[in-house]
Amino acid sequence: MRYIYLSIISLSILSAGGGVLDVDWSTVIPKSGQQKASVPYPKVLTDGIKDVHLPVYLSSQYAYDKNMIVVADKNFYTISIDLKDAVVTFQGDKTFQESVSPTNPEFQKISKSSAPVEYVLAEGIMSATFNRHGVNYMIDIECEEPKKDKRCRETSLISSLYNTLTMVGGRP
Amino acid sequence: MRYLLIAMILFVFTSCSQKSSTEKLQRFSYTPAGKLVPPTSGQGRIGDNYIYAPAIRFPIEKAPAYINSQVYGVGGYLGPRGSLCSPKNYQYPWHDNYCEKRGWKMPLCRGGKGHQGVDIRTATCEKRKYYTVAVEDGIISSIGKYTVSLRGKSGRTYRYLHQDPHSLRVHRGEHVKRGQRLGLVSNYMGSTPTSIHLHFDIRQTIKIGNKSKVMFVPPYTSLVDAYKRLLQGNP
Repeated sequence: MRYIYLSIISLSILSAGGGVLDVDWSTVIPKSGQQKASVPYPKVLTDGIKDVHLPVYLSSQYAYDKNMIVVADKNFYTISIDLKDAVVTFQGDKTFQESVSPTNPEFQKISKSSAPVEYVLAEGIMSATFNRHGVNYMIDIECEEPKKDKRCRETSLISSLYNTLTMVGGRP
Repeated sequence: MRYLLIAMILFVFTSCSQKSSTEKLQRFSYTPAGKLVPPTSGQGRIGDNYIYAPAIRFPIEKAPAYINSQVYGVGGYLGPRGSLCSPKNYQYPWHDNYCEKRGWKMPLCRGGKGHQGVDIRTATCEKRKYYTVAVEDGIISSIGKYTVSLRGKSGRTYRYLHQDPHSLRVHRGEHVKRGQRLGLVSNYMGSTPTSIHLHFDIRQTIKIGNKSKVMFVPPYTSLVDAYKRLLQGNP
């Protein structure tokens, strides 16, 4: 009963109507300075993200992959890399669709329990979600054989992708 | 005289059409959001009737369609014995399964675990027959091995799982219009097939004070709303 009551109270505080999150560029610039590429990134990447207004992160393992597919606008990007029997996507997004008061008990709990990076395996897809500079990022790995392929059963690949993220572009 | 005849024909046609829509709508029934069937399948968000994705189009082109559990329904691996094609799986009422017990972290589900989205069966137990459609204008942001992701103009990402990969009518980066066909519902999950259904989920960002979090939000109420419009002939 308490939960029902909490749910109703919580949701009445949800507010539809989204917007754009503020990117904290002050936390980006010192790091990006160190990460300037000595070899130019492929044109598919530089052209694809030229209008993106948030820091664009991609694993250094794939930053020079000329076969990547970039889908982007000023507020988000998705970069897909086709591997053998798997697809990896890197996504960043600075929009929000709902807002809720920070005093809302349910969302307060969710917000507090968030780890710097969260790994989740669901529907056979291994995902990592994290927040940097005030905006949200995701990495997904989807396999042809999700029940057998270690890339979609264990966190070794996704954590290595997360640990090798490098900022490859994006501007204020 | 001729105009009068045309007007009468139009009137009869419209009346029949409205009557048919009303009958379809009257036949449709659904259990409340958050009420899981069977109750042992998890603990849903009872009382959460908030429509997270307002005014979306229903993701399957034509009615009828049935939202219920693939796991706990007839023939499911935790459900009553029988065929996955049992008529019991292809009837109203709908049952929410967003918080159905799975091993996956779901912060909006009591207990912290749930299903991320809902499973939708098509009119009949046949694969490669029923089209999925874009729920809003947007862009195909990614296509995985068995997932098509549509990023809507609203900024929400809608994921369509288990379509036949050879049936896809869209490609990555393609702009799509609301109602545009995407592909055919199937049982495809790479080399390990699942039951014939569409897994549909909605990922969006919720701003919590000065922080934000990306979450899979409950789609059930949005889909009930969309389905009613589809039945009324106004998808």
